[in-house]
Amino acid sequence: MGLGLLASRTLRSSSRIFHNNGPTTHFLRTITSTPDLNNADASASAVQQPDLPPRNPVGGARVHFPNPEDAIEVFVDGYPVKIPKGMTVLQACEVAGVDIPRFCYHSRLSIAGNCRMCLVEVEKSPKPVASCAMPALPGMKIKTDTPIAKKAREGVMEFLLMNHPLDCPICDQGGECDLQDQSMAFGSDRGRFTEMKRSVVDKNLGPLVKTVMTRCIQCTRCVRFASEVAGVEDLGMLGRGSGEEIGTYVEKLMTSELSGNVIDICPVGALTSKPFAFKARNWELKGTESIDVTDAVGSNIRIDSRGPEVMRVVPRLNEDINEEWISDKTRFFYDGLKRQRLNDPMLRGPDGRFKAVTWRDALAIVAEVMHQIKPEEIVGVAGKLSDAESMMALKDLLNKMGSNNIFCEGNGMHPNADLRSGYIMNTGISGLEKADAFLLVGTQPRVEAAMVNARIRKTVKATNAKVGYVGPAADFNYDHRHLGTDPKTLVEIAEGRHPFSSALKNAKNPVIIVGAGVFEREDKDAVFAAVETIGKNNNVVRPDWNGLNVLLLNGAQAAALDLGLVPESDKCIESAKFVYLMGADDVSLDKLPDDAFVVYQGHHGDRGVYRANVILPASAFTEKEGIYENTEGCAQITLPAVPTVGDARDDWKIIRALSEVAGVGLPYDSLGAIRSRIRTVAPNLLELDERQPATFSTSLRPEVSQKVSETPFTPAVENFYMTDAITRASKIMAQCSALLRK
Amino acid sequence: MASSLRRIATHSPQAAAWRSSLTPICRQFASDALVEIKPGEIGMVSGIPDEHLRRRVVIFSPARTASQQGSGKVGKWKINFMSTQKWENPLMGWTSTGDPYANVGDSALCFESEEAAKAFAEKHGWEYTVKKRHTPLLKIKSYADNFKWKGPPKTAE
Repeated sequence: MGLGLLASRTLRSSSRIFHNNGPTTHFLRTITSTPDLNNADASASAVQQPDLPPRNPVGGARVHFPNPEDAIEVFVDGYPVKIPKGMTVLQACEVAGVDIPRFCYHSRLSIAGNCRMCLVEVEKSPKPVASCAMPALPGMKIKTDTPIAKKAREGVMEFLLMNHPLDCPICDQGGECDLQDQSMAFGSDRGRFTEMKRSVVDKNLGPLVKTVMTRCIQCTRCVRFASEVAGVEDLGMLGRGSGEEIGTYVEKLMTSELSGNVIDICPVGALTSKPFAFKARNWELKGTESIDVTDAVGSNIRIDSRGPEVMRVVPRLNEDINEEWISDKTRFFYDGLKRQRLNDPMLRGPDGRFKAVTWRDALAIVAEVMHQIKPEEIVGVAGKLSDAESMMALKDLLNKMGSNNIFCEGNGMHPNADLRSGYIMNTGISGLEKADAFLLVGTQPRVEAAMVNARIRKTVKATNAKVGYVGPAADFNYDHRHLGTDPKTLVEIAEGRHPFSSALKNAKNPVIIVGAGVFEREDKDAVFAAVETIGKNNNVVRPDWNGLNVLLLNGAQAAALDLGLVPESDKCIESAKFVYLMGADDVSLDKLPDDAFVVYQGHHGDRGVYRANVILPASAFTEKEGIYENTEGCAQITLPAVPTVGDARDDWKIIRALSEVAGVGLPYDSLGAIRSRIRTVAPNLLELDERQPATFSTSLRPEVSQKVSETPFTPAVENFYMTDAITRASKIMAQCSALLRK
Repeated sequence: MASSLRRIATHSPQAAAWRSSLTPICRQFASDALVEIKPGEIGMVSGIPDEHLRRRVVIFSPARTASQQGSGKVGKWKINFMSTQKWENPLMGWTSTGDPYANVGDSALCFESEEAAKAFAEKHGWEYTVKKRHTPLLKIKSYADNFKWKGPPKTAE
């Protein structure tokens, strides 16, 4: 038997003509594993060939070696790979560039090993092994494309398809379905199952996730996601055998801010997006790789559009920021982009009603009014969704007019823009995974930055890190200790009188996260001073570790501070006669004098429009190219996915045009030119996709004489689902706030 | 099986001889060709209108679709023309566009490497920016972690 096989090998390698013949293919397809098992040496020598073509890991993956000495070598289809000890066979195959079919295995969830699709043949093993659960051992010879492995997977596929309905033509997952893809390779064209297919009652998981439970193949990815990543023990497995189903035990909605991710991880169409149901087919969609600006995390997203319409938003991999998850707000706010949009420039008439005017008239009126007003009475406010280019242009315009009263909403009236380390997340979002003690000051990451919260939860779960929290009563999805509600607690910790200070002291990599809600407090400097004292006493800032962090709230905040959007006087709103709101809806205009002239430039008819005299329609972030800096100091760029609505223009172009009409022309008229202007102010904003850490630590700050007040911290975000003009216009977000908010 | 056949073909002496006989023919099209193409020249002679040769494009590598685990399409490079000149045609409601490149980047241009995409953009004289490709990080995972002792049971405080 061994001879016959050897003979066939010689034939295969010596004659090129021979293996073009038909019968040989049958000859090659014979199951060869058993002779190889009996004659291991021969097969090994035949497999080891001198120069195999180099292979790249699947998806360009990088391999993390925790301990370089612990590398082992395994052979995947004869190709030797070095992997760290402890990796699974499936991971070894990935490093060798072999994609193993899988349903239950997901690289960011725990290993279940129940779908059996990843079966491979391992030499000297009597049966095919489930590669996702099998640890790779030194010298293991893994074979992924042998007839045994193929036959095993075909068997698994036949069982999976037994109870899977033939829904593909009406299924939303159709075209991007793992089961569909893999049945192309391993499915049979007919089944041997003649009974009735089972059917399962659909579950109601809320306004975001649509369920068709008959399609479920029990991979349990959603169950593991809910309990491991989202931190809600809502989903589980009920029943046994063919009665097995995924459910919530009792009728219950999935109340997690990450629930939309189960749509992505579901390998079949059992969990799909409810707002997207039957709206489009995925092959009609054009994907634009962009970023999300509805919070300060800057999650990487892909905006899927069909024609002039945004159809859905899906996450994109970025290990440093959002891994491959996004929050529900990011995923489902997109319908807000189609509602309440500002189409035309408008002017408020004497009767208090808006009427559409031409751009020329609108800009002429704004320029005229601007010139009649004393420079110190001109105020500019950048909104929370502003990009760096337009903020730069607005600041230059106001400075040319003689005013320096410009700020970004959310940064407060006394922003500290001098030391960059005082307003960014110095540890970095992925750096949080190294921490072993957290102190959260006035921040509720679960609603302020859901992706940062997911990182903290991952860390707490992996290392049992201790979490202390100072602030109003809040909902956490990990173990934490509520230390107090006001800044007095901070002083106690700083002086070492509080029981939590010992936990911080014993920690190797302590992390302190201050919420950006603190920026609006009167005693902001004192709070930051107390936090710094805690940092100093507990060795939080070292050359190799910086654990002092600020968690920002909005996409525009970090770039605004980098560009120096700091108001000259903190009473500027009270004395203003001309206010330029660039998408600013949440700035308090109660104290604004009644005779002030307000220009609102933005894309949504939201709060800012109520007080406006002139409306200049601008484009939303899905329609323009703009640089945004996230809370960890990483600048990223949005790309236009859809056309602008009506007569709207890009923000910086409006300001550039206004400067021309007002006779103070700005010296740039292209995005490239405005970026070289940014380079002179904040060069870090042009280093895209690369985190730029702060150079100086906050210890350079002057001494603060202010005392902390007893006013308790207040929640910075009232409603997770509605934080800005776009999300407030979204119907889906309104449904979520009504149903899911506790 | 296809891959094993290919391996045989590349390692057999006949194949090597066949390849070496091919190389002189191939070389004419490669680096030491007589004509050197300067940046932008292909665009100039291609008949493409001037305004489309002064475009800004983004070269990027599309990320894996979040709902699919397969990696067949991952690692390719594409050109995004940032084309948004689209509108709904009032007659039928179909999408109209005023940009000949509206569908070119997404469906027609696909490159094996970043360099190939850059060279293509340079030949046409497009001003390009390259977006960094994000790759996954493989960390050790083990089935045994499911049964690891995770400290004493939590008690309600």
